[in-house]
Amino acid sequence: MEQDLDLLRRCLAGENSAWEGLLRVYTRKIYNLCYRFTGRAEEAEDLTQEVFIKIFQTLRSFDVTQGSFSTWLHRVARNHLVDHYRRTKKDRMTGSIEEDVETYEATPSPGASPHGQVEARERKEQLQRALDRLSPDLREAVVLRDLHDLDYLEIAQVLGVPQGTVKSRINRGRLELARVLKRMEGLRGPAEAGSEP
Amino acid sequence: MTHLEIENLASDYLEGLLEPSSRASVDAHLKGCAECRELMGDVRHVMEMCQAAEDVEPKPWLVPKILRATIGERKPTWGERLAAYIRPVLQPRVAYPIAMTVFTFSILVNAAGLNLRSLRFEDLNPRTWVDRANRQGHLMYAHAEKFYYDLRVVYEIESRFRLLRGQPNGQEEATPKATPPGGGSSEGAPSDQTMASNGGAWTEAVSDNEPAFPTLGNQTGFTRARRSPIP
Repeated sequence: MEQDLDLLRRCLAGENSAWEGLLRVYTRKIYNLCYRFTGRAEEAEDLTQEVFIKIFQTLRSFDVTQGSFSTWLHRVARNHLVDHYRRTKKDRMTGSIEEDVETYEATPSPGASPHGQVEARERKEQLQRALDRLSPDLREAVVLRDLHDLDYLEIAQVLGVPQGTVKSRINRGRLELARVLKRMEGLRGPAEAGSEP
Repeated sequence: MTHLEIENLASDYLEGLLEPSSRASVDAHLKGCAECRELMGDVRHVMEMCQAAEDVEPKPWLVPKILRATIGERKPTWGERLAAYIRPVLQPRVAYPIAMTVFTFSILVNAAGLNLRSLRFEDLNPRTWVDRANRQGHLMYAHAEKFYYDLRVVYEIESRFRLLRGQPNGQEEATPKATPPGGGSSEGAPSDQTMASNGGAWTEAVSDNEPAFPTLGNQTGFTRARRSPIP
């Protein structure tokens, strides 16, 4: 927190190395947030870059009294992601079902590989696919809580909604995610059974 | 409690945020309801899966890309420029030959007996280098030879061989006899070997007419005494 503020002060004073320091601290987090929302590495990279350009341009508008720099950064990123989601909604609706089916069928079952690494990667991909099927409201709440480890107050500040709403969204998001994962495993089960001699 | 209420409290229950009374109610419901137990297990699985999920690693060029997009190209510092010059030299394919050259050069300088700190005019003459290298080689050989003959194992083996050579056939297995008191030696055995009782060290008595061992300089390690009677 103190380190962030120090970097921020130096950054506002025109010190480029301070801006580089901030980037090195937060790029990974924001990239992960973007990746969880989009599910695509290239798109997440572009979005991360756009978020940081926005941050760089509006750095002077950051108000210390309204929360930490991290919360502010998450809020800007989240708003940008919501905008992006709205902009690309039409594109996704045209090909979402086919894409989902193709992605799912192209992925080998976890039992096909003996290596733990492969299994872990597949679990990660499965989680990402399940997250993609959640509505943006529920997805962002679950991602911020369970993947970014933010507390309820921070999430409420990022999303700009009361803490009660945050709790409710997280709970509904988890329930929905559980159902989606179960459905996916149910689909995977018969496919595996069919492949056996 | 209804199923719907359990559903609504699932996250709070699993995160331990419920009041004790509410928690007890949920526990009581879960005991009798397999469906809700399964639901709770599924939500727990989701939470564990999310927490176990590792971060996705961004590409290494992402930060430089954002830097270029925000503050433009950065001028490299002096240190970075210097590092850019040195970096190719530190590549293994360049560094290894350089290291070998330095190593070979140091060996040659050492062998030629050159002292680089106090270099004289005659040190630049190749003839001097050859002479010194030759001298160094002989000295090294002499030192190695001396070291070899000073080894106890070598010494003992040689002594045995000499004993065996001096004994008639069929008596090779016989143990070497100790030097009799008074310094006398048994006939046919040109040299005797014994463990001196006073110090525990091996001494060897060599008769005067026997050719001496090839030795170099002062003897070290074992005592080689010429015909010294052992008390």
